[in-house]
Amino acid sequence: MTLWHIAWNYLWNRKLTTFLTIVSVALGVALITSVLLLHYETEKRFVEEGQSFDVAVGAKGSTQQLVLSTVYFIGQPTGTIQYSDFERLQKEEEVLAAFPINMGDSYQGFRIVGTTREMLEFNWVNRVTEERRGTFDIDQGDYFAKPLEAVIGAAVAIESQLRIGDEFASMHGFADMGFSEHHDAKPYKVVGILKASATPNDRAIFVDYNSIYEVHDDEYGTPSLSGAESAPGANYKSGEEHSEVGEHAEEADHAAGEGHADEEHGHAHKQLTAALLVLESPAQRFEFKQRIINDYPNAVAAVPIDEIQQLYNQLLGTARQVMVYIGFLVMVISSISILIGLYLSIIQRKRDLAIMRALGATSGEIVGSVLIEAFWVTLLGILAGYASGLALTWGIGSFLASKIGFEVSVFRPTADMISAYSAILIMGMIAGILPAWQAYRTDIARDLAEL
Amino acid sequence: MVILEKVRRKLGPGVEFICDEFHAPEGAQVALWGPSGCGKSTMLNLISGLLRPNSGVIRVDGLETQRMSNGQLDRLRGERFGFIFQTFNLLAPFTALQNVMLGMRFSDTRPSKEWRAHAIHLLERVGLAHRLNSKPGTMSVGERQRVAIARALANRQRIVVADEPTGSLDPKTAASVMDLLLELCRENKVTLLLVTHDQSIANQLPERFDCTGLARETAQ
Repeated sequence: MTLWHIAWNYLWNRKLTTFLTIVSVALGVALITSVLLLHYETEKRFVEEGQSFDVAVGAKGSTQQLVLSTVYFIGQPTGTIQYSDFERLQKEEEVLAAFPINMGDSYQGFRIVGTTREMLEFNWVNRVTEERRGTFDIDQGDYFAKPLEAVIGAAVAIESQLRIGDEFASMHGFADMGFSEHHDAKPYKVVGILKASATPNDRAIFVDYNSIYEVHDDEYGTPSLSGAESAPGANYKSGEEHSEVGEHAEEADHAAGEGHADEEHGHAHKQLTAALLVLESPAQRFEFKQRIINDYPNAVAAVPIDEIQQLYNQLLGTARQVMVYIGFLVMVISSISILIGLYLSIIQRKRDLAIMRALGATSGEIVGSVLIEAFWVTLLGILAGYASGLALTWGIGSFLASKIGFEVSVFRPTADMISAYSAILIMGMIAGILPAWQAYRTDIARDLAEL
Repeated sequence: MVILEKVRRKLGPGVEFICDEFHAPEGAQVALWGPSGCGKSTMLNLISGLLRPNSGVIRVDGLETQRMSNGQLDRLRGERFGFIFQTFNLLAPFTALQNVMLGMRFSDTRPSKEWRAHAIHLLERVGLAHRLNSKPGTMSVGERQRVAIARALANRQRIVVADEPTGSLDPKTAASVMDLLLELCRENKVTLLLVTHDQSIANQLPERFDCTGLARETAQ
């Protein structure tokens, strides 16, 4: 029969009080757990994704908006750049690979991303760890080979019930406002389904970037585009409004009245939403970005990982701190409840302590058993709080996965969490010191009054 | 063996415990007898080290306890003294078996692997083989006092101090508990110091020490 056993028996003897104290500790721990876990996991996912591309180049505007819209498929694109700029970028010495991005349409809320087959086939690795990333691994079918063929993300396949060979018509904009136009005349055909990757790719539809031009060509026709302007800045419209000019670059081609026959000239006037670049080395990111800003007057460049970390620090960093502070405040209150619970328990069982002393227990053993009680309550509170925190995180993570495609892996304690739990355990033990001191000062003869 | 020589202990303003001489040889069974408030309980507290004397000498098996540190007294109590109280003082969260094992837990007189078997043996000896896993709250007062007796003998104690051990029991149960206690102390050659205000109980023990006047008013 150890002191742990003795302490446990006393806790079990007052189950309700013990349970309520554990619940109060668990509340604080659950809050801290979910805040830290969500922050860590979402940041990790964002950073992983942000590491895929070294530089994003888009129309002048918010660099964060550029990165969020083109890398994470969140929010509206900033506008368009000239296709000729993209061609120039491809030839830059530092560029290992350049991928065009065309956006503006969607299907059932899933964003249609126009790009090249090369982007899907590219050997994607984490630029820091060099680990292979299977974010474009194909599950069924194959990658698109020509315009109007589509490769859909895993979540798209599940939610839209689209299968290989199915056809679907895209819609203007990223959200169905009820009056949004549908491109029924040029439906896409599903030729491939991606493996689930727990990234935004799960919730995207990838097509050849020329598909976007083709879809809008047919609908608006060459003559109707004659008034379109070709300058990227002037062509900007919000994604919801869905600019048939700015976001669908072939229109500018027609505006020039040249048609498809003159491919060279056509490309010269085509526009793209953005270009995503992989450089020879991640070390070149910032220097290259600066050069792009200087050399391309109508474009802006951003380093995705830099933008996302800034966003985290500016916005989520503060929110995280506030939530962690609230969690610790709850913990302080919980510690006080441990203190009160144990203190009252010591007062109530002074005679028991005196009996133990009469049986030969030393003051140290009595103090030890009280501190162990504090340890048990705190430890069980942490375990219960951890489990509740995981459940809460899982719930929020499921919501996040459905909204932005990021899945949160909840069963991975982080260094922050372990530090927080250690701090909580220490707080619980500190809360046990006063009752333990009270027990230490047991006056055996007085407490065994009738002896 | 327990010896008190010229022991004094202040009990309060103008009240002092004074015992010039007391001697209980090894294996003796002594009733500390006297009316309420005469100082019997104070005497037991001083002998078992729960109270310290202001002056005088207390020898337990040749050891002068008034010179001992608190830690040494704790050890001495755990190893040599067994306690039986009027209100049993069993620990409520623990079963009868665990209460007896606790008696062994706080001393080094027996290896931990023997605790359980020895506790079962003692409880069988006091007729509670069927109550091993019962908690005190579910037991009769007689059964509780039998558990307390088993606990008091768990460490091969040399001295059992019993404070009014039958005070809460009905006469029939009290008689059987007394018989058991005296028999076990004889069996184990344990010195028994039993406090009682009841002369009929005191008369059951071979030796009696009249405590009347041990606690007395003194000039301040």
